[in-house]
Amino acid sequence: MSADKSTQRVTLTSNENTNIEVDRVVAERSMLIKNLIEDLGDDVTSAPIPIPNVNDPVLRKVVEWCEHHRNDAVQSADDDNDSRKKTTDIDEWDQKFMQVDQEMLFEIILAANYLDIKALLDVGCKTVANMIKGKSPEEIRKTFNITNDFTPEEEEQIRRENEWAEDR
Amino acid sequence: MSNPPRTAPVRAVGAGAGFAAPPSARTTKKPANSILQTLQATEIIDSKPVLPAEIIATILDYLPVADLMRFARTSRRMREMVYDDTRWVARLRSMGCWDEAEARRRFEEAVMMRRKRDAAAASAGAGAGAGAGAGPNVGGRGGSVLPAAPPDAASLLFDAGLEEERRRRQLLLKQEQQRTMAVDVRDGFETMKVAGSPQVGSGGGDDPSRDPEALLKVLKGVKSARGHARQEYGKVYGALAPFYFDLVRAKSHTDPLVFKVFRDPERQAQMLANLRTFAKSDWAEGCLKREEKLDTMTSIFESAVLREFEQGYEFWDVDGRMKKYAHVLAVLNGSNAGAELFIQKHPIFSDREVLANPMDCVNQALADSITLEPSRRFFEVLTRKVDEQAGIIERIFPDPAKVFWAFVDKVREDIITEYATPLFDETHERSIPSYLRAVSGIFEQTLHFLRTLTPPKGGEAQQTDMARELALKVFEPHLDLYLQDELDEFTRQAEREVGEWEKKLSEQDASVESFYMGSFANRQADKKDFLTSFKKVVMMPVTVLPTTLGLPGLPLGSPFATSKASAAANTNGNNSLQTPSQQPSRTQSPAPSTAERSSSPLPGKAPTDELAAKAALMTSRLEGIKSLFSIEVALSLVHAAKASLGRIAVFIQLGGQAGGEAREQCLVIFVTLLRVLGNGHVKPGFDRAVAHLSQYNPREVSQHDRGGVAPLVTFIELVNVGDLISQMIDVFYEQQLAGPKIADRNDFMDPAGLAKKKFEQMLDESVAAGLNKGIDVLMDEVEYICATTQQPTDYNPGATGLDPASSSTTTTSTSSAEKRMTKSSGAVNMDIGPTPTAQRIRDLVASHTSMLVGSTDKSMLDVFNGEVGLRLFTAVCKHLKRQRISTEGAIKLIADMNLYFEYIRTLKNQDLLAYFKALRELSQIYLIDARHAKEMATIIADGDRFGGIFRAEEVYEYAERRADWYQVRKDVERAMYGLECNVM
Repeated sequence: MSADKSTQRVTLTSNENTNIEVDRVVAERSMLIKNLIEDLGDDVTSAPIPIPNVNDPVLRKVVEWCEHHRNDAVQSADDDNDSRKKTTDIDEWDQKFMQVDQEMLFEIILAANYLDIKALLDVGCKTVANMIKGKSPEEIRKTFNITNDFTPEEEEQIRRENEWAEDR
Repeated sequence: MSNPPRTAPVRAVGAGAGFAAPPSARTTKKPANSILQTLQATEIIDSKPVLPAEIIATILDYLPVADLMRFARTSRRMREMVYDDTRWVARLRSMGCWDEAEARRRFEEAVMMRRKRDAAAASAGAGAGAGAGAGPNVGGRGGSVLPAAPPDAASLLFDAGLEEERRRRQLLLKQEQQRTMAVDVRDGFETMKVAGSPQVGSGGGDDPSRDPEALLKVLKGVKSARGHARQEYGKVYGALAPFYFDLVRAKSHTDPLVFKVFRDPERQAQMLANLRTFAKSDWAEGCLKREEKLDTMTSIFESAVLREFEQGYEFWDVDGRMKKYAHVLAVLNGSNAGAELFIQKHPIFSDREVLANPMDCVNQALADSITLEPSRRFFEVLTRKVDEQAGIIERIFPDPAKVFWAFVDKVREDIITEYATPLFDETHERSIPSYLRAVSGIFEQTLHFLRTLTPPKGGEAQQTDMARELALKVFEPHLDLYLQDELDEFTRQAEREVGEWEKKLSEQDASVESFYMGSFANRQADKKDFLTSFKKVVMMPVTVLPTTLGLPGLPLGSPFATSKASAAANTNGNNSLQTPSQQPSRTQSPAPSTAERSSSPLPGKAPTDELAAKAALMTSRLEGIKSLFSIEVALSLVHAAKASLGRIAVFIQLGGQAGGEAREQCLVIFVTLLRVLGNGHVKPGFDRAVAHLSQYNPREVSQHDRGGVAPLVTFIELVNVGDLISQMIDVFYEQQLAGPKIADRNDFMDPAGLAKKKFEQMLDESVAAGLNKGIDVLMDEVEYICATTQQPTDYNPGATGLDPASSSTTTTSTSSAEKRMTKSSGAVNMDIGPTPTAQRIRDLVASHTSMLVGSTDKSMLDVFNGEVGLRLFTAVCKHLKRQRISTEGAIKLIADMNLYFEYIRTLKNQDLLAYFKALRELSQIYLIDARHAKEMATIIADGDRFGGIFRAEEVYEYAERRADWYQVRKDVERAMYGLECNVM
């Protein structure tokens, strides 16, 4: 099984019923797919794997990312306990990759979450965090479509509470 | 694009806090009919994809604190997420400011307080108006944890209209809390919500920034209270973040605020240290660069401080600048750089007075020898200097113990090793013995040096360990070679000793071996004396050092050895029985010169000389066996072994692997000693002696007047010496190996114990084999004496000229005796003592048996005596059957038998005694007058009389030896076999 693993191809089907054929190693960047193949055995590779929660453009985008990162070391589960390890900056390719509209960005993040691709999820979250940086609360609400359920007094109260954190 | 239905993978499911998620997607434990939930869901514009809560939580992790707080202002839900206590606990923990135990304790206290309050409120409060009053009430509860919180601030936050929703939300958050923390944090959470926030908003943020002193201590003041992590972090952030970001932005080292607000280096250092800690809680993007910047600034600062320290160092401004900047460095990063500088540039490493020339040890001594006096002086000077420095280090550094040991380590590396290694190399080339002495001696001095240092406060506890470790470091490279050389040298010396002796022996004409019987009278006293001296020497510590260091754990006299000595003393009395022996036939040449030589390996003076003198004495006494083996050789072997052991034993103190190796080597040396001494020296000696014995033929030896069988005497001497050596080894084992715990007496697998047992066994076997032969020889001699010296007239004196007493009773027998007598001695002097033959036999046997007393173990002696007695009995019986005994002669015979009996009695062997008793009884049948044949028959038939030793037939046979047998035979037989009746 492992001998022909590198040459094996699998087919992924998006929720729009389009098929994308990728190398098995690329598909296995997704822990979801990896576990699926491992659980069901090799037979599953002959049939297309349905990815019902992800639409075609997003799936292609995700596959693109996986292709580029096909040789990365798999992050172990322990790593995300240490907050310091998350702080590595986004590399150039990923930055470019993430230059998409916000809707697409969120879709990618959700797909990464669903497919359980840790590294991609992290990149997405970091990108979102960068979007939030330096914005006022109102801008943040607008960007992320958040409804303000505070009274102005309440909001002011929170601001005062956290005055210590203001940039000086 | 429409919003597709999503099923988020169920990971750490955050409770109801998403940007916007359709309720159907939630598969969490929160109540489905949450008002808030439905409320929010309806408000969402569906066209945009939404992110689930846990993803938002992840995003928040990447946000800088300032953005985080702005984010909190966007909506309630977001606020809950940002305010989540675990987020802030994590930050505090990353700075090392979170103490879980403290948090738990505080929490429990809070629970207690709250219960009390609840009870009070329940009894006092009326049922009506609870809804309105709840807000301030809850706020009051929170204030119990942090009393500074003003209750009115809490009421500002909440109004009664929101109360309902707030409660519901609290419920949700409680559930979340319970999932994330394994403990019930309900109350802590509540208090945070209500009371903590306003406090930080007003007091926490402002105070530290106003007061620079408070800024310095802000990290120490952090409390670990659940539900207050955000506030506590807020305090720290408020105090340090301005400096932090300012420093990051700074272009040059003069810019940062840190160096402007604080002018003196101590506070600057403290602040920098704080900032370094604070930087650990910063994990937003770019934090690595920020930390790098901080590190750069710190190192600039550090090098500046170090320069100041160095300048102070150059002026030797101990209590001024050095102390000051050492403390600054300690605050900054643990003082490593300062200590390193201090040690690195320390003048002691170029101090002429300290740097002695190790070759003095070789040069000041005689050729091929070594004196450790210069090295002792070297260590003395070094101890003084280092102690001096200990005081200075204590004055300069805040953590003197660490610096001191680092300093000593450097001294070890640069001074001691530099001193020792060339010395070892040199001596190793010149002569191995002095190399061995040098290694052991320098090691002991090093250890002593390290142990007698007076470290500054706090360093005493680890002194023993450090001393061991440092000493090991110095000697590790030499240890293997040393141990091997020690063993080789010992083996070589031992074998050379034995070889030389053998050579000397073969040079002598082997044929002129002369045996002589030494003065036995005092043997045991001598032996005891000798052993005492030996013990004294063994107990003396190895004096490779002129100083009185003394080896710890050298035992006092072991109980075993003393008991043996006293046992020997008790048996001393037996010696008085021995006949005084003749003087040695040829003049002795006592060998004091050789004895002195044996003492030369040991530097010790007085006791060794005493021992040497005693050894010489013993040697002269034992000259007779010098062709077999030499106690002197044995002694010098033991000496050599002791010197080697003493040198190695000091390394055992190292412990660990090196100590174990040294210990093993000690055992190996002991085993080698026994091997060389036993197989190389003692055993061949015994073998030769046994060979001599077996070749002995009494008829070929002309001199029988010496009173002893020469080879047997030699052999017994040999047994004595062998025993002495064995005791020596035993004392040596007890005191050198078992005493200092080098060998375990109770471990039957212990190689030293095994070797010792083997040695003793070998000795016993040799002794047994020799004694076996010895008995044969002795009996040959006895028989020879019987055959050659017993006059026929002894037991059958001539009938003529008898004294009146006997002639009146034995008229018939004398006439018949007269017939048979060929050579009548005419005037036989009828004294009633034993015959000379019997006396000689007794003396012969007695002297040989008594020689063995105290030299072999008792059981072997018993066996030997028993065998000798039995064989003597047989010999006497055989002899008796060859004699003719008249009634007159019977008196002599009885006297003889009494003589034997008395002698046997001294052996204290009851079984044996029975034989000779029977023999004594038997001899009485010759005394019975011929006329009393009937009584004679009764006696012959009386089995009880002879204790079962002789049967009637045997007694009858002996009765045949009566001189008048043919006359009494008829009567006796008649009486015995009942013929008497027929006649009558």
